[in-house]
Amino acid sequence: MENIYKPYLARIEEKRKETYDTTSFKLVFVDDEVREKFTFRAGNFGEYSVLGEGESTFCIASSPTKKGYIECCFRAVGRVTKSLAEKEVGDVIGFRGPYGNHFPVEDFFGKNVVFIAGGIALPPVRSVIWNVLDLRDKFEKVTIVYGARSVADLVYKHELKLWEERSDVDIVTTVDPGGETPEWKGKIGFVPTVLKEVAPSSENSVAVLCGPPIMIKFTLPVLKELGFKEEDVWTTLENRMKCGLGKCGRCNVGNVYVCKEGPVFTAAQIARMPNDF
Amino acid sequence: MSDRTAGIRAIAGKWLQEGTVEAVLGWEQGTYRDKTAPVLVRKAEEVDRLVFNERCTNNLMTYLKRDPVRSLSTVGIVAKGCDIKALIGLIQESQVPREKVKILAVTCPGVRNADGKRPVKCAACDVNTPVFYDEIVGEKIASNPDRAARFRDVEALEAMTPEERHRFWREQFDKCIRCYACRQACPLCICSRCIAEKNQPQWIETSAHPRGNFAWNLIRAYHLAGRCIECEACETACPADIPLMLLNRYMAKVVEQSFGYEAGRDPQAQPPLRTFKLDDDNSFIL
Amino acid sequence: MPYLKMDSADLPKVARKLAASGARLVLPVREGDERFYREGADPDSLDLTTIPKNSIKEFLFPKTERILRYQYRGKDVTVEDVAPTAAGRTVIFGARPCDAASLPVVEPLWNWDYKDEFFNARRAATVIVTYACRTAPDEACFCVSVGLGPSSDQGSDVLLFPLDETVVAVRFVTAAGRELESAFAEFGKGEVAEEALEAFRKTGEASLAHRKKFDRVQGWLEAHFEDRLWEEKAFRCIGCGTCTFLCPTCHCFDIQDESCFDAGYRLKNWDACQFSLFTLHTSGHNPRDTQPKRYRQRIYHKYAIYPQKFGKILCTGCGRCVAHCPVNLSLYDVVATAQERAERGD
Repeated sequence: MENIYKPYLARIEEKRKETYDTTSFKLVFVDDEVREKFTFRAGNFGEYSVLGEGESTFCIASSPTKKGYIECCFRAVGRVTKSLAEKEVGDVIGFRGPYGNHFPVEDFFGKNVVFIAGGIALPPVRSVIWNVLDLRDKFEKVTIVYGARSVADLVYKHELKLWEERSDVDIVTTVDPGGETPEWKGKIGFVPTVLKEVAPSSENSVAVLCGPPIMIKFTLPVLKELGFKEEDVWTTLENRMKCGLGKCGRCNVGNVYVCKEGPVFTAAQIARMPNDF
Repeated sequence: MSDRTAGIRAIAGKWLQEGTVEAVLGWEQGTYRDKTAPVLVRKAEEVDRLVFNERCTNNLMTYLKRDPVRSLSTVGIVAKGCDIKALIGLIQESQVPREKVKILAVTCPGVRNADGKRPVKCAACDVNTPVFYDEIVGEKIASNPDRAARFRDVEALEAMTPEERHRFWREQFDKCIRCYACRQACPLCICSRCIAEKNQPQWIETSAHPRGNFAWNLIRAYHLAGRCIECEACETACPADIPLMLLNRYMAKVVEQSFGYEAGRDPQAQPPLRTFKLDDDNSFIL
Repeated sequence: MPYLKMDSADLPKVARKLAASGARLVLPVREGDERFYREGADPDSLDLTTIPKNSIKEFLFPKTERILRYQYRGKDVTVEDVAPTAAGRTVIFGARPCDAASLPVVEPLWNWDYKDEFFNARRAATVIVTYACRTAPDEACFCVSVGLGPSSDQGSDVLLFPLDETVVAVRFVTAAGRELESAFAEFGKGEVAEEALEAFRKTGEASLAHRKKFDRVQGWLEAHFEDRLWEEKAFRCIGCGTCTFLCPTCHCFDIQDESCFDAGYRLKNWDACQFSLFTLHTSGHNPRDTQPKRYRQRIYHKYAIYPQKFGKILCTGCGRCVAHCPVNLSLYDVVATAQERAERGD
């Protein structure tokens, strides 16, 4: 009997404490066949579990161009994520997925891609960033604007550096006013404000945007001002999920099940949704 | 129309007109059989929705813990003697300031459940004419409580051996579906985050299996011990027909025997499981 | 085409025969003043007087069910399948049409891309003998409002028509139902003409003629998400799960892990969108932070979202939510208001 609720088992191969409350894992599936055959698309999510504690929903933070492993990054705020954060390299956890829809990366071929992310929302964007960078010549200009409340809240710091060092990526990092340290060399200001300064061209461009609701709220008008059409602004909706496969009845926003028809949506789609998220 | 209904409408209308309260919480005629339903009246023109009859069984004090009533600064509540005991409990525990609620008391000869029978609380009632209120309607009723009625079913339980009792409750709690109607209907289940909703750690298993159901129902009974005013809202609401009042009255009897205390009488008193006195009985510890 | 005629007093005997093969037998029985569907009850206690308080949902979708077992060994953990609870052959004898009809309604959900084999295994192993309603058994009934009726055969394998106090006509609806023919035939006492069943059906529907047809509700809901109706109507809702858990079509669930030291189970448990925690994010944000919003979700799910997705209303009009709501918040009243407003163009 096929059990749709049964997770794959994955061993933690690498663990990094990104911030005081955020951890990232590199996970390798225990089963050889799963490891070989597992595929996904950028934007997919999974149900990561600690058997005995429960499951938690977050994205796959690595790009599908990387084979043999997946990565994730999460903040320890509840029962499951706190338990996950205590796991060590070599421990085995559960993974159910990939679920959800994905960013239509092929539709971005030949275009400029502007990535905007805030805080812990970098991981879903990161999956698309690496997807794009691993196929770099298929895209035009790549711009990244990433910010967090403070320097301590920036995740994937070592990769920010990697991206800074690349000549084929323009990256601007920022922290909120008051979040800087004396050594901080990046910008100081909220992400929407910094985006306005960077003013990426909307001509032949798409935007990939993820962040806390307040950041999205103030970033969408900036993108509009810059001339981005709502159909060209891609974002993700986070909602409380359980089963991840459309049955438990929890994640719908109006008649849209975020786990099945999302979590990736355009700003145009979100504008049409009822105020239910 | 009964005098009580007319009286309630008159006072509610007066309070709303004069701005004494922001709204009046009472009962209106329902739409299923002879049920009544809770209603919140905000305008004097709407007071004709209010009724009082022997099917006014809901304890309206349960709305004090939820919005919109929770956020009102003043509210008038139509209340029977048993309902007022719940408010006294809430005042004892500093959950509701006395000034917030204007009690529109009603003298009550007893109510009837959906099956047409009177609940146990009515047989044993001694507050047919409430004593704690702001205004009162209805002719005075002299109470004639059948004291023995209150604990009659508890005695049958006490007569069982522990094994029999365990088997009895096992069978009852097996029916539990963990809908939490008991908790939601109860005016004294007021925790903003119920112990059953906490998962760090998971004190009570949420699954509706015997172990989880035992844990939930027993812990709820414990949390109500010395606080439950026996309004029977929980048992009335339970869709699985579990005799919850049997357990709650059992606990009330134990509290009465151990501490000489009955819930919901005196706003200045404190439930015994919330206080410590130097002369508390210690015999069961030593 | 004539139908088998039998004595209603023989129905328990048929039930007993059907259970003889070791099948799990589920029957409506009397408990106190109520009726409940219970499994393993003695067939002689079969009570078909009125609609049971619970639905047959729990026999296809248990209130709690283990969906896998796990075991830790040091850093390693393994997961094992567990057999679906109670997936052996089951006979539900004496289901009401609104209960039987709920199964075809929920089947698409349990099989939406991902197939829930726990449900499917039980569904495949279950045969439903439905007891049609001569007249609506309760004031709360409204099956006709959602396109069903008191002698609807949707979801049924066998349909029993109590033509009067002693005579029952038997109609074998599906192939699975026809496999039971021999159990019934033994008690056959002749035939009943089709016309008698027609008359029966008309009587049943006449008893519900006062119920509105909910044919304009979906459209109205789609246009009135922010309507004042929800605040007005849902004030009295106390957020208990009674309506959801008694409902034959409500299927929302929770997934929980329960452990004992180094091993344990993952379970699937009933959950309700009426609970305040249902959509609460760990951040503290709750898209449905007030009871009117949660109540709205229930109506939308049943009367707008599910029809949009699966072409069916997620409700069979059994009326349990109306009859047993502790505060008489009648779903029928609310949806009828939506229908009326749609008809008025309001």
